[in-house]
Amino acid sequence: MTRWSWSRGLRARLLAAFALVTMAGAGAAAWSGAGSARAALVEAHEHQVTTSFADQVRAVAPTLSYPPDQATLDRLRTALGAGTVVTYGSARSAAGPGPDLVSAELRGAVREGDRLVTQRVLDAGTPWLVIGTPVVLTAPDGTRTPSGVEVYTVRDLTVVQEQVDRLARSALATAAFALPLAIVLALLAARTVLRPVRDLRDTARRLAAGDLGARTPPRGVDELAQLTVTINEMAQAVQTSMTAMHGMQSDARRFVADVSHELRTPLSTLTAVMEVLADTSADMEPDARESAELAITETRRLVRLVEDLMEVSRFDAGSAPLRLEQTDVPRAVRDSLAARGWLDEVDLVTGEDVGALVDPRRLDVVVANLVANALRHGAPPVLVEVSATDAEVTVEVTDHGPGLPPEVLPHVFDRFFKADAARVRTPGSGLGLAIARENARLHGGDLTADDVAGGGARFVLRLPRGTARRDLERS
Amino acid sequence: MSRMPSPLRALPALVLPAVLAVGCGVQPSGVVDAADAPTGVAPGPTLYFVDADGALRPEVRETGRLGTIPEALTLLLIGPGPGSGDVHTEIRETEVTRVEVTTTDSSIALRMPLTVDDVTPAGIDQVVCTALGVHVQGGGSTRTTVRIEFVQLTPESDVDRTCPLIG
Repeated sequence: MTRWSWSRGLRARLLAAFALVTMAGAGAAAWSGAGSARAALVEAHEHQVTTSFADQVRAVAPTLSYPPDQATLDRLRTALGAGTVVTYGSARSAAGPGPDLVSAELRGAVREGDRLVTQRVLDAGTPWLVIGTPVVLTAPDGTRTPSGVEVYTVRDLTVVQEQVDRLARSALATAAFALPLAIVLALLAARTVLRPVRDLRDTARRLAAGDLGARTPPRGVDELAQLTVTINEMAQAVQTSMTAMHGMQSDARRFVADVSHELRTPLSTLTAVMEVLADTSADMEPDARESAELAITETRRLVRLVEDLMEVSRFDAGSAPLRLEQTDVPRAVRDSLAARGWLDEVDLVTGEDVGALVDPRRLDVVVANLVANALRHGAPPVLVEVSATDAEVTVEVTDHGPGLPPEVLPHVFDRFFKADAARVRTPGSGLGLAIARENARLHGGDLTADDVAGGGARFVLRLPRGTARRDLERS
Repeated sequence: MSRMPSPLRALPALVLPAVLAVGCGVQPSGVVDAADAPTGVAPGPTLYFVDADGALRPEVRETGRLGTIPEALTLLLIGPGPGSGDVHTEIRETEVTRVEVTTTDSSIALRMPLTVDDVTPAGIDQVVCTALGVHVQGGGSTRTTVRIEFVQLTPESDVDRTCPLIG
């Protein structure tokens, strides 16, 4: 994961959590505050409207004739303003929008009781307060009896609705105001968490890049500090075992180098003896001659093996010398094949002169090894193709044998790896391909193996052309 | 967001209804009992006269409407009239029948065109009960007191009175 998306993930989650908690808190506070304020507002407004209405009725009532006639009802209605209905038995005085809004429930409550009742209704989004009351007859001693006069009126609550809306908006604005504050706090909190995490990541990255001495000093005693200590311990363990392993490896390499070096002197004596033996083997008995020839062959193999081992040791020690020369690669390949008498068995396809800055001796080793393998393990025709781009020169060796089995493919460049376990006594040392690849890599190139469609193994050697290309073109 | 710890996932569900509830404004309601019904209609004011036994007797004067305290007191000062049977008034007849009334929450002050000598104690009760009757019928409290201010300076003008028949 990249640094950006990684830190953004944790920081974004912290931010989101803080923002949500803040909004929930502020929202809940605003909700309860606005809720009770709304209730108080509505109640106060209704009380004021209701009281003023009752006072109006009380003020007009003593001037009304009783029992009332139509004119009296009209006078009461006019005194109480628009949207009022006055009834007395079947007589009725009405004007304005009032009658539609009076519910049967309210009418029943007015008719049954001797109390002033109210009901809030919504009509096409507009809130109305419907007020209904009987006008009662009071005896001088305070006894109240229904007079039969009922008054209904509607009062617009839009004003209070607007006040409530303003209240809600300001509550929301307050809640929103808390949001930037929460984000700042979240960023601060995120920084305290993310900085140690970032330090840890940098350390882990250095460890991965091979700097085994990388450590993060733990700060504090929290979980992140514990994690830091644990990672430091892990790095320490890795460093210890890596050092031990490096030591063992270099010991092993030095041992191989020493062994092969020590074998060289006795082997050269042995080789001289074998040459004498070879010269005289023609005069031997057939049994003895066979033994002598076997001894000669095995001695040659042994010499070859020791030479290869010494070469491998030089690669491992990093002391293999690279002698770069301006080389015409197609010619070098041709010479290599000609020197071993393979020109008749191999199809060589080359383009025009391809110059490259390579070590001709090492190129010869690689080409000889690849072609020898193709002739030995593959089937003819063996095709050697030299091609080049601006940057690199490519030598492809393809045979038409069975190809490399998939389970073998990853191991062909391993040391002492033999594809066919039964065929152990091949003339090769088992180090040829490993050395070939080390040679390619010494040049900064590479050697790869794969199968061609339709059968046959293909080895591709790629070598960078270096600065030789320009030199050659100029000459 | 999808990997948010579970308590956080519930938050939007909490915030949303809160915001909605705040934004909704005035809601419809059921029928709510708000106050006493207004009163004040009547076939006429009740006037108080004195019968043969000296007791106060209420009598509704059917003017068609309750009217005001001064109107009722004016009617009282004019007297029972010929059709009233065996009741009489114990307020001396006067040319001036205009009465000034000042009403506060707990008391009514009457400025009468009379002296203390123009009324008997029963006559004072007549005035107090008539005024208080109209006050109560118009929605006032029965516990309201009445003060009669006579034209001449007298301690009787400072007495808070109540009607024996009311309250």
